[in-house]
Amino acid sequence: MEDATRTFGKGSCPPGPVPEGLIRVYSMRFCPFAHRTRLVLRAKGIRHEVININLRNKPEWYYTKHPFGQIPVLENSKCQLIYESVIACEYLDDAYPGRKLYPYDPYERARQKMLLELFYKVPHLTKECLVAIRCGRKCADLKLALRQEFCNLEEILGYQNTVFFGGDCISMIDYLFWPWFERLDVYGIADCLNHTPALRLWTAAMKQDPTVCALLIDRSIFLGFLNLYFQNNPDAFDYGLTC
Amino acid sequence: MSGGSARSLAKGSAPPGPVPQGLIRVYSMRFCPFAQRTLLVLKAKGIGHEIININLKNKPEWFFTKNPFGLVPVLENSQGQLIYESAITCEYLDEAYPGKKLLPDDPYEKACQKMVFELFSKVPPLVTSFIRRQNNEDGSGLKEELRKEFSKLEEVLTNKKTTFFGGNSLSMIDYLIWPWFERLEVLELNECVDHTPKLKLWMAAMREDPAVSSLLIETKAFRGFLDLYLQNSPEACDYGL
Repeated sequence: MEDATRTFGKGSCPPGPVPEGLIRVYSMRFCPFAHRTRLVLRAKGIRHEVININLRNKPEWYYTKHPFGQIPVLENSKCQLIYESVIACEYLDDAYPGRKLYPYDPYERARQKMLLELFYKVPHLTKECLVAIRCGRKCADLKLALRQEFCNLEEILGYQNTVFFGGDCISMIDYLFWPWFERLDVYGIADCLNHTPALRLWTAAMKQDPTVCALLIDRSIFLGFLNLYFQNNPDAFDYGLTC
Repeated sequence: MSGGSARSLAKGSAPPGPVPQGLIRVYSMRFCPFAQRTLLVLKAKGIGHEIININLKNKPEWFFTKNPFGLVPVLENSQGQLIYESAITCEYLDEAYPGKKLLPDDPYEKACQKMVFELFSKVPPLVTSFIRRQNNEDGSGLKEELRKEFSKLEEVLTNKKTTFFGGNSLSMIDYLIWPWFERLEVLELNECVDHTPKLKLWMAAMREDPAVSSLLIETKAFRGFLDLYLQNSPEACDYGL
């Protein structure tokens, strides 16, 4: 995988300029927001390089790329920086040729953006569940809230009667949702899909997508990362790398 | 433009009919800053439209079939397509209608406008908190937070060295953030831009824009609306009519 490289931490040298013909993404192998951007890069066949950032021990130079040191950030060979995962994904779709992930039709584009609004509680809720479970706390209320969000998404699929959120083919909105669904199992909350059959069918269909497949994170490596992360071990982010 | 000064529709009202061909309808409310974004874009692009005002303190049942969240603005076209969330409505209008593009064609410049929009995102909830604060709170903490957010925007103008947030001409991002700056004076929050001179200049330049000036809300009317709105009065949305 292109992103199987050691993280840059405090004291590291800043990377040089981005070579012509490439775009760089500042990322972290297990981050769901950065995962969105990596999915789009892959889906569109965009030549890119990945620089992983140690999020617990951020390089000083990284704050010149993002004011708060967040990921993902895109940097191109003109030194232009783009951040916020959704903005980065849209930028890639606009700036690069080939397969368009957002629809052409203005109404269909608006629909995908409205769907994204429906999703906004999911990242926070899944993270809260993960933290609660890892800290040995009960999270029945959180799981209930998450199931409710999934019900809303289920309703959309039911109403549309399509496999994917944008229609019968995978498109941007599916990639924007995917990273959290990929993590349900390893976070220990896969049962939140028990009452949403269309959503389960969607996750199965997503796992068949070549882009999703190519970036699927190995379960035992993810668990290894989570174990170290919750022990506050700064080596967590490099877990599973052989180089 | 029809309907901007029309009485709002409330509970028990009949749902409006389909949207006539050649027009787009916006469900709005005369004092809502989010809906004002959409009205600004409709005006700036010269899009033929009709306005239906909604009584936000006494919403018609049928309005939830237009937007399940029951919020304004909502666009409805003659094909019955519904678009909601103010920023999404504005982008839709820019894409769907010809004429002057408010969003840049260049992907990076477009992304920059969206990043500035994110930078602005704490302002609306802060202004709302300030409006809703109880009488014994002096709001100085909120004012300080607002100043901080405005400093971030000042920095953008400083770095860009342009009058407007998208360059030397007014563009989408300016319209998206304007409604809250328009309300600073009537809310007695003008002091929050005392240390951000470029932002002050930008506000003055905005007032010169035809779309902005045609939609400016009269101070007394806004005050009257706000007092009633904070008392949850169903008369608030029609104040001054």
